[in-house]
Amino acid sequence: MNIYFFYLIISILAISIALGLYRLVKGPSVSDRAVALDALTNVTTALLVLIAVLSARFIYLDVALVYAILAFIGVVAIARYLEGGL
Amino acid sequence: MIELTIISWIMAFLVIGAAIYAIETKDLISAAIAAGVASLVVSIMFLVLQAPDVAITEASIGAGLTMAIFVYAIGRTGRWEE
Repeated sequence: MNIYFFYLIISILAISIALGLYRLVKGPSVSDRAVALDALTNVTTALLVLIAVLSARFIYLDVALVYAILAFIGVVAIARYLEGGL
Repeated sequence: MIELTIISWIMAFLVIGAAIYAIETKDLISAAIAAGVASLVVSIMFLVLQAPDVAITEASIGAGLTMAIFVYAIGRTGRWEE
């Protein structure tokens, strides 16, 4: 596959991570930070898959799978806390 | 692999920013969220260093369970640091 394709994907993910980190640090309320965390979770899952493709080892895809399954628990806990139930 | 080097540099800046914010903020919920982001980035760094089992453990324990327990504890005590 063309190498510039990977550079394009890395650039897009880097811009997404920079925007997510900006909203995580700057965001006025906790809700903005929780949404930024959720967005960074999705970007990170894509980045894990990209590392698996670059390393050419499909065992690395299990990390992305486990992370995509388990990463929503923290966001659910924060949402439950902001609602006032926890 | 120059691509993995670029990813490692991006992850280094991200984990430094998230860790500094987690230390400096007074809002404990925001600190827990920033600690979750730092744990997430450390998981990627473990994967770049070719340790997928450690990365799976870090992703499940650090990103999922630890932040939920932190938020539960903050809900039982207080939200703002003096």
